[in-house]
Amino acid sequence: MPASEASAAPGLLSRLSTIAANLVKVTTTKALIGQTPRQAIWTLNKATLFRYTPVLPAEKRHPVPLLLVFALMNKSSILDLRPGNSFVEFLLQKGYDVYLLDWGTPGPEDAQTDLGDYVLEYLPRAIRKLKSFSGSEQFNLLGWCIGAMLSTLYSSLRPAEGPKSLILLTAPLDFTQPDKISLAKMTEERYFDVDRVLQAYGNMPAGLIDYGAKMLKPVENFIGGYTRLFDNLDNTKVVDSWHAMNTWVSDAIPLAGAAYRQFILDFYRGNKLVKGTLNVRGERVDLNQLRASVLNVIGTDDHITPPCQSESILELVGSTDKELLRLPGGHIGLMVGSGASKGAWPKIDDWLSKRSA
Amino acid sequence: MSGESSKGFFERVRGARDSAMDDLAKVTLAWTSSNSYQAINAAISRPALLVTAILRRASESAMADLLAKLNMPSREEVLALSQRLTRIEMVLDDVGAGMDQLRGGSSRQQRPSARQREGNGNGRPGAGPALKEG
Repeated sequence: MPASEASAAPGLLSRLSTIAANLVKVTTTKALIGQTPRQAIWTLNKATLFRYTPVLPAEKRHPVPLLLVFALMNKSSILDLRPGNSFVEFLLQKGYDVYLLDWGTPGPEDAQTDLGDYVLEYLPRAIRKLKSFSGSEQFNLLGWCIGAMLSTLYSSLRPAEGPKSLILLTAPLDFTQPDKISLAKMTEERYFDVDRVLQAYGNMPAGLIDYGAKMLKPVENFIGGYTRLFDNLDNTKVVDSWHAMNTWVSDAIPLAGAAYRQFILDFYRGNKLVKGTLNVRGERVDLNQLRASVLNVIGTDDHITPPCQSESILELVGSTDKELLRLPGGHIGLMVGSGASKGAWPKIDDWLSKRSA
Repeated sequence: MSGESSKGFFERVRGARDSAMDDLAKVTLAWTSSNSYQAINAAISRPALLVTAILRRASESAMADLLAKLNMPSREEVLALSQRLTRIEMVLDDVGAGMDQLRGGSSRQQRPSARQREGNGNGRPGAGPALKEG
């Protein structure tokens, strides 16, 4: 055996063992995600309000607490993916008092839970608890995806008790241009019978939601992710990152039937929020009543909630302090990964820190 | 030398694969965005959903009969009970919040906020009303 080949052999062996170890890891385990220490301070049915353990002393923290509200059909652990790539961790290091409203996983008994329940029962109670626990009458609210939609509805319906500032991330609010929204085509009345789906399942199954979202970019979602993994199997850092994201993606949860039905009929098909005809438990939602400062963050490459679904919203809200922030990135990539820690996160911090005093 | 040429070969294969995948992505995206794809999807899903609904109803009905024979509560009764418990939970939550408010300003001084509890600068949570660890 030539000397050069003999010296290369241990390197090759070590590489192969790394590949084997990484392969075993991603195929047999789930990554540990959502690891930042936190304390549950309130529960109602499946919903839980968590408070993350601050890392800075009280005198160095912002006095106005921040409440995070994520979507209904995925787990909120994406906000705290893993150490070194966690939005929650970033916020704690920047001195925010961070609370998270986790909706939990709806069961068959929650099939009748609608948007009114989320907006007028769960959210106000969680906020009441946040206020009494933190001792602050003011709070800021950050909603992502449907969480942003629920936050918008709440802030419009309850402006007096509502947030001081509202941050909307990839919010699906405006359905004026259905031809630009792939999910709108998928859920058109002639192709999709929402009542029949709910008759069959009660809640909207996680698998169907996941399938629908993945079919918006089938090759990227069904093949692309795995080829990226295959190309980097010898790079443990990339594999760990992929593993964490894959663990989160494959852990989708069902959406309460009644809420899903409203989402399809009133938003995707009726565009009632923008038209000003949306009623939540008999109360008309008037975006002009929303008075909080608003930061609307849009991912320019978002194919799930394309920019046209929220860029017009600032014209409709009654707030005087409002800003639109366009950032490169997709629906999730906007807030996760190396791009987020250098892009969206510091920009959100820059805006929010001025409104957290 | 042979190492470099094999590396070059793999790079070319990878490039060809990525290029083929890009083309495939464009084709599939055009297909899944088309009306015909949605129509086919609907044509497949309609009978599947109908069968699922019928099977679900049949299994629920059989289960309800069995549970009735065993003198046990039906699925509907358990679901209704669960919903009622959630309503009770909401009322208790309101009562708890109302009692907190009734205690007023003096008790506020006795029960400091999270911020006051952590004023010692160690940044660790105080003895708040923890329900469970997340």
